[in-house]
Amino acid sequence: MLVETLPEPLQRPQVHLRSETTRSVLRVQHALLDVLRTRLHNLGFVEFLPPILGPVTDPGIRGAKQVTVDYYGREYKVMSSGILYKQLALQAFDRIFFLAPNVRLEPPETVKTGRHLVEFFQLDVEIARGSYDEAMRLAEDLVRTATEEVRRGCAEQLEALGRRLPASDGPFPRRTHAACVAELRARGRRQSPDAEIAWSEEEFLSRLAERPFFIHDYPKGSRGFYDREDPDRPGILRDFDLILPQGYGEVASGAEREHEYAKVVARIRETGENPAKYGWYIEMLREGIPSSAGFGIGIERLTRYLTGVDAVWKARPYPKLPGMPCP
Amino acid sequence: MPLSRLSAPGFPEVAIRERARRGTAALWPFAEGKEYGTTLLGQLPSEPADDLDALRLVPPVLMPERLQKLIELGREPYFSDVSLETRIGGFHSSLPVYISALGSTRAAHDDLGIAVAQRSAAFGLPLVIGENVSSVHGYARRLHPERPCFKERAFAYADALPAKGGGLVIQQSTEDANAELWNRVYSDPDFGHLLSSGRLGFELKVGQGAKPGLGGLTLVGPEEAERLRPSFLVEEAFGQDGLRLRSSAPGTFTDEILRQQIRLMRNNYPRALVWVKLPPGRDVALAARVAWQAGADAVVVDGAGAGTGLAPSAFLQGVGLPLLECLRRVRQPAGCLLASGRMWEATRIVKALALGASGAGIGRAALIAANENPHAGLTRFLDSLALELRLVLSALAHYRVSDVRPDDLWDPRSSATASPNLSA
Repeated sequence: MLVETLPEPLQRPQVHLRSETTRSVLRVQHALLDVLRTRLHNLGFVEFLPPILGPVTDPGIRGAKQVTVDYYGREYKVMSSGILYKQLALQAFDRIFFLAPNVRLEPPETVKTGRHLVEFFQLDVEIARGSYDEAMRLAEDLVRTATEEVRRGCAEQLEALGRRLPASDGPFPRRTHAACVAELRARGRRQSPDAEIAWSEEEFLSRLAERPFFIHDYPKGSRGFYDREDPDRPGILRDFDLILPQGYGEVASGAEREHEYAKVVARIRETGENPAKYGWYIEMLREGIPSSAGFGIGIERLTRYLTGVDAVWKARPYPKLPGMPCP
Repeated sequence: MPLSRLSAPGFPEVAIRERARRGTAALWPFAEGKEYGTTLLGQLPSEPADDLDALRLVPPVLMPERLQKLIELGREPYFSDVSLETRIGGFHSSLPVYISALGSTRAAHDDLGIAVAQRSAAFGLPLVIGENVSSVHGYARRLHPERPCFKERAFAYADALPAKGGGLVIQQSTEDANAELWNRVYSDPDFGHLLSSGRLGFELKVGQGAKPGLGGLTLVGPEEAERLRPSFLVEEAFGQDGLRLRSSAPGTFTDEILRQQIRLMRNNYPRALVWVKLPPGRDVALAARVAWQAGADAVVVDGAGAGTGLAPSAFLQGVGLPLLECLRRVRQPAGCLLASGRMWEATRIVKALALGASGAGIGRAALIAANENPHAGLTRFLDSLALELRLVLSALAHYRVSDVRPDDLWDPRSSATASPNLSA
């Protein structure tokens, strides 16, 4: 097994948690969570406590495996993301968020990206009748607010970590997926026009950037069935990723949601699954739900960016790396 | 557990068993070598099994290609100079042949599926593991004590692979998709070496030749039926003796659904090759085009008459396009085309190559050969097939598999000119 190659702090979590670096990073993370919550409360969002298990969970997780548990003789899933439950939450309130644990058995190859964890937390936000433009503006607001508040409130920790945060003022540039593919190809890189931006290419684009930027309008077939296809531009999804500069890469994904029953059933079929698997969700859509938009921000990835540590596991108290039997 | 003897009505089982017993010696029309010198040989009249078998391969008299080979070698070429190595759906293969999907059908498990996996791997041929093996027999642990689970089948193959060549292709049905089979394999460290050596693929099964329009079918006992009921349709369609019919959903496809499923496979599993298996439907050419455009590394066309564990008699007799008509409709493939259905000897395989295929899938023949002798049957069968392919290709003055072309064929039902309707 690969356990010999794990750095000592990953084999012995007590060493990780005793380190001054970890303490500084976790203090910044504490401040970050406080800032995000406060900002969302001030904007009228209601915090929900997220689900942990369900008969189904988010299938749009790029090659990763969901975790299955025996739930009184039935197969249940540990949440890989709470996306389906965010749409459910809008039955109660129009603007909701939760800080949710997600578990994804990522392909072992992702252990090398420095950006993948098996367990991570996500700030999940959903806005009833929202557009993806509105979702992008809110994601931008949160990342900017977090950056400025951490820069101001955690100067001591940033100093100890040697982190000089790049500028976050001014609007975050927005580029279409097609434009990013064209740029990558013009620079001699390989990137399929029909797929997510490959991890290596995303890092490449991220290194060229001086401030966070959005990639939007992904091609259908590259994302989950719940990202809404643009009615006026078939094959294009009304969705986005927020990419951090300096090689830190993707920190958030979001979209307008497909919410009409027949469209969702056809989109589920495009992923090869039987819609019957999504029983309660499909039933809810039959009754009708509001359109919505939302996103999830990876807490450990945003922490890594704010603190400048070289791998995302350093931004987690109990890190688990893909393919590795971590404590 | 001793193997029970398989039978394959309507399929040349006797000839295949002969090859599995005697290897290359079975290529000649004698029972034994001593008959040579005492038997006068001539054409052996036989009834073609279908329109593809009815075509004839027609070697040229004048052969500039052989001259090229002569110049390259500096001597007259022999059939032993034919290279059978080729690429099949992104994999390197020692023959223009792969072993097509053997699913959860009872004929393919016990030790037979293992024997086929091991021998085909040693020969450097790609192998497809069919749908439902994981759902019915278990992923890493046996659900039935006497039937190998999915990973046993997979690693019987992977562990016997040579340093170069071959590749494991894993089919996934709708029910397997619900169980996330591909995600499970892709994130399983045990499959890492296949991924890193480019020898793992996933096959999207849109349908199959023996029962186009139907999903996978097997017969199971009452106890197993109850276990499978949450995931499959289980009905008492087989009468009173206790067996139940387990059906997979055939799956709903439109051009957009097919396109997006392939794109999602490429997006989610960028290091795995993507194969698509099509049934012999009337719009097979359109479906193949969509698959290639969406980035499939191979499109398999499974002609009516292909083998199966279970199909209704009506489907075996009267549903689906014959393989020849499928290949004619696809015409000029825009990517790697693979043909399957009744494949077992060289002339049928070469005819499929002449009609645009890059390789042929062997299913029933592999099972019968392994059933004849689990240790050596399939190897002897493949040895004989390799020699036969070399003989046929060299007669056509081809020394590479990819050189086979439509004018190597003659259709006895057309005019006297060389296959005008085939080379169009």
